[in-house]
Amino acid sequence: MIAGLALIAGVVVGLVLRPTVPHVLEPYLPIAVVAALDAVFGGIRAHLDGIFDAKVFVVSFVSNVVVAALIVFLGDKLGVGGQLSTAVVVVLGIRIFGNAAAIRRHVFRA
Amino acid sequence: MTSRPSTSATELLVDLVTNTADPGYAAATARRGTDARRRWFDRPAVVLGCLLVGFTLAVAYVHTHRSAPDVAKVHNSLVARVKAAQASGDALEAKAQQLNGEIAKARQQALPGTSLGTRLQRAQLLAGATPVVGQGLAVQLADPPQPTATPSSGRAGTTPIDDSQLLTDRDVRSVVNELWHDGAEAIAVNGVRLTPTSAIRFAGQAVLVDFAPITSPYTIDAIGDSDVLVTSFADSDVAGRYHTLTSVEGISFSWTQQRRLHLPATAAATPRYASPAPSRSSR
Repeated sequence: MIAGLALIAGVVVGLVLRPTVPHVLEPYLPIAVVAALDAVFGGIRAHLDGIFDAKVFVVSFVSNVVVAALIVFLGDKLGVGGQLSTAVVVVLGIRIFGNAAAIRRHVFRA
Repeated sequence: MTSRPSTSATELLVDLVTNTADPGYAAATARRGTDARRRWFDRPAVVLGCLLVGFTLAVAYVHTHRSAPDVAKVHNSLVARVKAAQASGDALEAKAQQLNGEIAKARQQALPGTSLGTRLQRAQLLAGATPVVGQGLAVQLADPPQPTATPSSGRAGTTPIDDSQLLTDRDVRSVVNELWHDGAEAIAVNGVRLTPTSAIRFAGQAVLVDFAPITSPYTIDAIGDSDVLVTSFADSDVAGRYHTLTSVEGISFSWTQQRRLHLPATAAATPRYASPAPSRSSR
């Protein structure tokens, strides 16, 4: 409940402030988005499994963003930034799909 | 992803697909036990995390949708600049034609009915500096209306890059050359009068006639003896070739005999380097 409200509040804050993304951070935006979605689905699944932990939720989200950004940053410096960015999106995307499937099994028992 | 050691890359991949849950949650539960009390930071942490997630998504949305209008804005401003340049070019062209008309009138007043005046008029006519009327032939040449959705019969990789544009400057040029050959005295392509210095070129996706871009359908108006023009043109290799292309590639190609064609004048370029050679008689 409170999590949903906070999520909506975050969206509203983002829409109201409309911050400009610095040019340097632009390549990391897609990674941040996928990591955010991964955190949300992972959190919901853990909640439905009854093992939700607030600390794990926050730390996993932040660390996912940071680690993914680091990997891509390193890749950018070595000339494989685009490929590594794809790799990060694929790995996190698989997790999102798996978690969504787990949530579906919980909700619909199917 | 799990505490179980993965021995090979394949196992790692299988693990990745089958074990999507973040192991952190399981580990935390195992550490604390399932019925642990709420800690003081649980609720603020969830709120903070959800705020961050929502903020990230909103920022990404705003960013994507802000940069898209930027692209459109740049495109629109470029289009506006091109249109303005075209309009000013057209205005200058019209002004030049009007001034040319005034010059012609003044000249006729100065040299009424003399042989010099007639010769000048003839030269101007041939140079495309005066609008002309007369009987002739109008040739229409047009690209296929829509790129065909069905795969072409050719091998893969042999289809042209831009299927919708089959006709290029070469096609317009060959028709024009054929018409000159058949005895045309004045020719205009899509309303652009050809002069002795005219060039028909191809740039990007447009055919350029004297730097004026024209697109399909191409209408080539030629003034001359219309009977001769029609029979010679119908007999020519060029007409035969485009007839074949009509059935094969779907271009449209036709010509009609015209009783009265009106061709505009063009502001003829003033020769800057070429000057008349001294004639033999004056030596």
